[in-house]
Amino acid sequence: MRDKYDAIIVGSGASGGAVAYQLCKAGYRVALLEKGRLIRREEFSKDELAYCRRDIVTPNLFDEYHTIEEKIDGAWVETPTFESGWSFWNGNIVGGSSNLMSGMLHRMHPDDFRLKTVYGEIEGANIEDWAISYEELEPYYTLAEELVGISGKAQPHPYKAPRSTKDFPQAPTQESAITKLFDRSCKALGVTPLITPRAVLSQDRGERLACYYSNFCGSYGCSSGAKGSSREAFIAPALATGNLTLLTNSHVTKLHSTQKEVTEVEVVNTLTLASQKLSAKIFVLALQAHESSRLLLNSANKFHPQGLSNSSGEVGKNLIFSAGGAGGGTFYRKSMKKKDFEALMQRGLFVNRSLLDWYIQKNWLGGKEKGGLVEFMFEHQNNISRAISTRYSNSRLLWGKELAQAMHSSFTQSKKIRFEIFNDWLPTDDCFLSLDTKRKDKYGMSVGKLRIHGHPHDMSVAKSIAKECEKVLQEMGAEDIYSSLSSTPPQNLIAGGCRFGDDPKRAVLNKNCQSFDTANLFVADASFMPTGGSTPYTWTIYANALRVGDMIIKVLQRKL
Amino acid sequence: MTTRRTFLSASAVVGLSLVSAKEESRQRELPQELYNILQKVQNHLFPKGTLLPSASLFGATDFLQETLYHSSYDRDIRNFVLRGAKELRDTHKGELLNYNEEQMEKALRDFEETKMGSNWLSRVMILSIEALLSDPIYGGNFQELGWKALETTGGSPRPTSRYVAL
Repeated sequence: MRDKYDAIIVGSGASGGAVAYQLCKAGYRVALLEKGRLIRREEFSKDELAYCRRDIVTPNLFDEYHTIEEKIDGAWVETPTFESGWSFWNGNIVGGSSNLMSGMLHRMHPDDFRLKTVYGEIEGANIEDWAISYEELEPYYTLAEELVGISGKAQPHPYKAPRSTKDFPQAPTQESAITKLFDRSCKALGVTPLITPRAVLSQDRGERLACYYSNFCGSYGCSSGAKGSSREAFIAPALATGNLTLLTNSHVTKLHSTQKEVTEVEVVNTLTLASQKLSAKIFVLALQAHESSRLLLNSANKFHPQGLSNSSGEVGKNLIFSAGGAGGGTFYRKSMKKKDFEALMQRGLFVNRSLLDWYIQKNWLGGKEKGGLVEFMFEHQNNISRAISTRYSNSRLLWGKELAQAMHSSFTQSKKIRFEIFNDWLPTDDCFLSLDTKRKDKYGMSVGKLRIHGHPHDMSVAKSIAKECEKVLQEMGAEDIYSSLSSTPPQNLIAGGCRFGDDPKRAVLNKNCQSFDTANLFVADASFMPTGGSTPYTWTIYANALRVGDMIIKVLQRKL
Repeated sequence: MTTRRTFLSASAVVGLSLVSAKEESRQRELPQELYNILQKVQNHLFPKGTLLPSASLFGATDFLQETLYHSSYDRDIRNFVLRGAKELRDTHKGELLNYNEEQMEKALRDFEETKMGSNWLSRVMILSIEALLSDPIYGGNFQELGWKALETTGGSPRPTSRYVAL
């Protein structure tokens, strides 16, 4: 049965879907293994209780969890996530967490590929240049833009990555009236407002229908197919080729290997707990970054006693997140003209604005510095979470008439706008994944232990940007302006752990994201990234996975 | 990040529930006495005559009961809710159900002064708000009165089954 599949892909999220698409379109037979279930487009709903308040699309933390190590009062303290409730799972369904994204996508800047060369080393950080340049990835950014269906508008800006095509395949999604105020305020401050590229169709395209402005986008699956999830953009067309076998509820617990190649994957059916072994010519890991490292370390054998693909000892090292933070302000009915406030309250339309003015700064923190990207958006319209946020006043729980008044006022008399800052989470020796050999999950796998530490530089950058964002909100006339910055990582933006590079002693993967140790193993998810840039990762993951797909085709064609 | 642990620490239930998880999972309904206490508390948090529908109108306690015993709900938190109701019962020597509005206000504000009481009231409040504003398919938000009171609505499409038909 060795040749039943040309390739087995573990994980169906952003990277797994993109690789599957490339291989299936080229005529190769692929098995795509997804731990979770398939939720079809027509099955998605805007059920806040299920999708946002319960572990419906992620594992129960008592069954599967991580151990988090944080430095508290100078000592590393371990806390399993079933105890903290801090889940590091993100969307275990076909298409992964790309189903649930808000879809604010950005290319990385060419400087992000050469952070060490352009900006120099920073003490305590393990900064390395990428093994490829922006120019090598650019065709795949463009391909992803087309296949995902990213809507937007090409606008000039000195810190925008250059494009090889004139404009986006679709016009931007519809915008809230607040954008006029935002644009006017930015211009008054000498800041350049930019329309956010969004993985959401503004017009019908084939089987996928345009956005219907449901007002509930992030954290939910899309019911029209407008959102460019891996499921819609890649898996559905890959299935249409007839070359894709989609295996749901299929959890890979181990990779079996010889000295030189991976031979089989051990697959457990999550419903029946029956296990089987599947083989192929090529194996591709396409999980979340920390889970790819965990699987490699759990796949140690006599040939690879430190874990698979870990002759360098680098698997799990230099884990990175997206640094930054958030802030916001509030517009009150009482402070605005009636028609302006009512326009603000119109539901469903996007803010669609981002700022790149502080992506690169000269003489800012004492030299030329990498900064970050800022996204502006309305507060999420989830009713329950908005109501819960009104329950306290001066640390005292409100109830009865007081609570009713506060909740009613918050919902009908005000509108909150937020900003989110994305800047580099510098890789350090104190941010990595290892195996927690004391703890095993329900499948008998050693649990992943994440030591988490943010470099102080990350916070300095975020603080500087937050000050500028607050000025924008002030100019707009918002009240109750605040910033909330911390070195607590966003668990949905994880990368690193299997760096790519040119030196097998210092990297896990070569520039094609192919294992140095076992040549028929590729890691297509965000694990390869030595640095993360200052943008959400999704577009880069899509683009790189399409590139990796092309590399695998060359291997299968014996051209590489 | 120790939110949940900190939240539950005062009740000392962390770990204990792991031992008793099997036993707990067999139970599907609150003991009547605890149901009555939770109903009394929720009726006080969401009384009649405010800008919001009352707890009895939007179905707060039946929602809470069904939620606590659903497989998707965190069993440590379920045990914490039960433990808090028992604590309240014992502190007031079984008289809580007979309290008038003024006595109830004092009982709950006194409870709020303790770490456990503060956390417990917050949790019961969260469960009550979930009942007020989740899709009516879950048994709360009767006739969408919660949404209507706040001039809002759920997203579209609405769920056609609870918990994505687990």
